[in-house]
Amino acid sequence: MSEPSIFFEDVNEKQGTFHRRIFLMGGVTALGIFALGGQLALLQIVQGGKYKRLSAANQFNFRVVPPPRGKILDRNGNVIAGNRPSFRVLIIRNEIDDLDDTLDQISYVLPQVQDNRRRIVRDINQSQRFVPTVVAADLTWEEFSRVNLFAAEIPGVQAVMDEIRVYHYGGAFSHVVGYVSKISEKDLESEGENPDPLLLHPGFRIGKQGVEKAFDKQLRGVAGAQKIEVNASGNIVAEDPDGTRPPTPGEDITLTLDAEVQARALEVFEQDSGSAVLLNIHTGEILCMVSAPSFDPNLFVSGISSKAYKLLNEYERRPLLDKAIGSTFAPGSTFKMASALSFLDYGIDPTEKVVCRGSYRFGNRTFRCHGVHGAVDMRHALKFSCDTYFYHMCNRPGVDRIAATAHKLGLGELFELEIEGQKKGLVPTTEWKRTYFDGTKGRPKDPKWHPGETLSVAIGQGYTTVSALQLAVYVSRIANGGKAVTPHLIKKIGAVDKDFDFKPLGIPPEHIQIVRDGMEMVSNDADGTAFRNSQLNLGDMKMAGKTGTAQVINYDRAGTRKATQWKNKDHGLFVCYAPVDNPRYAMAVIVQHGIAGGRFAAPKAREIMKVALLKDPELQARIVAPPPPEPVEAAETAPPEVESTEVAPESTEYIPPVP
Amino acid sequence: MAESAMTRRGERERYDIKLLQVDWGFALVLSLIAGIGALVLYSVGGMSWEPWAYNHVLRFGLCFVVMILLSLIDLRWWMLLAYPAYGVSLLLLVAVELVGDVRMGAQRWLEIGSFSMQPSEFMKLAIVMALARWYHEAGTKDAVLSWKLFIPFTMIMVPVLLVAHQPDLGTAMLILLTGITVMIVAGLDWRVIATAAVGGIVAVPFFVMFVMHDYQRKRILTFLNPEADPSGDGYHILQSKIAIGSGGLLGKGLGLGSQSQLSFLPEKHTDFILAAVGEELGFLGAFTVFALYALAVFMALRIASLSHSHFGRLAAAGVTATFALYVLINGAMVMGLAPVVGVPQPLLSYGGSVMTTVMIGFGLVMGVKVHRYQELPRTQSFLSHFE
Repeated sequence: MSEPSIFFEDVNEKQGTFHRRIFLMGGVTALGIFALGGQLALLQIVQGGKYKRLSAANQFNFRVVPPPRGKILDRNGNVIAGNRPSFRVLIIRNEIDDLDDTLDQISYVLPQVQDNRRRIVRDINQSQRFVPTVVAADLTWEEFSRVNLFAAEIPGVQAVMDEIRVYHYGGAFSHVVGYVSKISEKDLESEGENPDPLLLHPGFRIGKQGVEKAFDKQLRGVAGAQKIEVNASGNIVAEDPDGTRPPTPGEDITLTLDAEVQARALEVFEQDSGSAVLLNIHTGEILCMVSAPSFDPNLFVSGISSKAYKLLNEYERRPLLDKAIGSTFAPGSTFKMASALSFLDYGIDPTEKVVCRGSYRFGNRTFRCHGVHGAVDMRHALKFSCDTYFYHMCNRPGVDRIAATAHKLGLGELFELEIEGQKKGLVPTTEWKRTYFDGTKGRPKDPKWHPGETLSVAIGQGYTTVSALQLAVYVSRIANGGKAVTPHLIKKIGAVDKDFDFKPLGIPPEHIQIVRDGMEMVSNDADGTAFRNSQLNLGDMKMAGKTGTAQVINYDRAGTRKATQWKNKDHGLFVCYAPVDNPRYAMAVIVQHGIAGGRFAAPKAREIMKVALLKDPELQARIVAPPPPEPVEAAETAPPEVESTEVAPESTEYIPPVP
Repeated sequence: MAESAMTRRGERERYDIKLLQVDWGFALVLSLIAGIGALVLYSVGGMSWEPWAYNHVLRFGLCFVVMILLSLIDLRWWMLLAYPAYGVSLLLLVAVELVGDVRMGAQRWLEIGSFSMQPSEFMKLAIVMALARWYHEAGTKDAVLSWKLFIPFTMIMVPVLLVAHQPDLGTAMLILLTGITVMIVAGLDWRVIATAAVGGIVAVPFFVMFVMHDYQRKRILTFLNPEADPSGDGYHILQSKIAIGSGGLLGKGLGLGSQSQLSFLPEKHTDFILAAVGEELGFLGAFTVFALYALAVFMALRIASLSHSHFGRLAAAGVTATFALYVLINGAMVMGLAPVVGVPQPLLSYGGSVMTTVMIGFGLVMGVKVHRYQELPRTQSFLSHFE
């Protein structure tokens, strides 16, 4: 049986079929292997690049390293807004299985987590799953190390140290510098399609107001990246130092503000509500821009509680409102320089006298003055803030010329200030009245300008409203001899200094001198309206100013000259510049419901101005070598409290028709 | 029983002669595949012989010895044992159905003492042996087209349904396709093949929608659109494709495959080992593996065609079919051409039962080579030949 033999008749046939079929099977297998080889070539050679990228994306993650936010400095380099280290605990939702369980574990180490649990769960549910959420912030070093030791064992929990914004001067700069806060959905949307991954970082804070908002991009800096190798479960296997890009810190911004002046300003306001703006009249640098009362911006950095926010928001004196640029008030008598300059421009002789008998008859109406001033020329009209003089003169140039001069000086104007929030206010004109009182939107149809309304405008009442910043610019333009100075806040960004050159407004210097004479008399003549409260006591350095009191309610209708409720009291205003002989600084102070400018606003202005003058290196030299003492004792000759509580006409909107 | 009798039967019955007849070239190809497997297991084990490479080499060594020993066994023994082996395997499958251990959601394991086993693995071999024997004894016409074909069909379908019910769809499909292949190479009529093919294609969607378990259906749907859920069910396929694709022409180098080393690749040491090969050894490495597999299949088919006995031919062809199906299904699955069905790559993947099955099968193939001139009687009374 050593050779193959055929036992059965059908064996050959079986064998033949089998051979054909086995050949087929080999062919099919070859085809299959060939197809696999083809797919292999497709994946590895044709599409290799694509899969290499995908593999790298799998393997490497980039972790955002937030840059330190740029500091905000005052003009002398004092840090207004800086950063401090903060220890925090984060949770990454998609790395944990059971959120409740994880939170239980964390609160074992950090009991405060338990207290905020509802907020944390809400935050986590609201953010995307891969974005870390802050569970606890501002931990002490002890807490932090405890978590650090423990967190390694809880997946998806990180203990990190990063920087948090800190405002060293508390409320002094809240409105102008603003604050940073957690980024909102709206902020994120406004960043466009592909927001910087930095914005999603849990430590990131975005500027919400003032300089922080206006220069957010510069302050923000550029996020760094850390290249880390991760495995399939997202755990870090290694860090790649070559692929790590350090963050670029945000640029520092130096403001024109002076922290000492600013801090003093907030201090002198105490509980009062209002604002103060102090400008360098030659450069337009804002040395002080304060709104009072203020709030602590540090509250907003880590998230203010809704209760605290509600208190701030509902407080009658409106701490959240920026009253320096974002609120407008009737300027009252501080407007009279603008009126006077328009009179001069019209050709009125400044020596022409008007006799003030305490009231002024116009048409069939009587407009009252706050005193009986006798015969006054323009300088004395300013000095005594005599309304009669302005009532008498104002309809010669008419309201439009007055408004033109006021606008020229900066009232009712918006400036190219670096921060948002300016309100324009209003200096009325006939044109404005025609378009405004057109009978629409619930406003009466009264397009005609009545000459009686000019009387109100001339003394800064009626429709006129201005902001503290506008008033400060207005006084600056008078004090610098009529140059179109504009205010600005930023001294330099990074290392770039800003430079300004201002054109003349085209007001003759002799006109300005007359107005300045008047202002000097207000503060330095013993019977001027602000004499007592304008004394700097800095040797021969004098201040020139102008008081203003703006009526809030109509006393004639109320039936009494005294308002009892705070919100009904008059606004007190004071504008000034100093030193008189060689002006450098101008300022405006508004004390909301501050009753009278001379009594309540002027002392504040004086205190703030004093700090500014004392800090000025050139002026300091003058003080060090004091001139002979003043011969006049201020207090003794102080006049009775004569204030420019000018009374607006009964109605500035309607002049009863002459029967 | 008949050792002395066998040695007395001339030259071919002597073991030293038989050992010379063993296809050592084929054995070398299998060893090369297993060697590449050990290399890659060493790499994905973190450049370490533990936990997989060492065991793999040891296991292959043992199986190799078993294969050589089995190749010396007379084909009549294989034929004699064909039906009993099939019967026992079937009983074990029924036993699994009744008392089996549920592991990873499927009832596949049978515990006997401390020894656990998957009867479906035995069935892969037993079905080949049983079918080979049936066709060996059947007439030519019966193999082509007759009512008797109902018998091999039933022999296939009973274990297929039992295994599918466990549910182990991969193995069931493997048994079914192996059985069908044996029927085809045995000479099944083309009209039957065509009809069955058309019927099968029509039946698949119904099967997917109504018979499959949810997780099985999900796998199929995932296969059809893996990118739809890359971190969920499509994850395995996508990561496997990334691993292979990122290997490029020359690969990232042993131990340097980020996909396999960092565990992005699932089941990197078992079902998806081919992806690790592709990533670390590149197109050249993976293609070499496929070439070796192709070579092994062709050598085995050549052995089948050399046999003088119909049992030998069909048995060798059947075992080869099982092996080739393993290779093709796993290859297609790893490269995203087939759903994830849990079929390992034979000899390359880490794991004992498939290696054992395949190497016992190759022992039979080797035996067919060694005994290629042996004639086997068609009748039931072949035991007389041992006398």
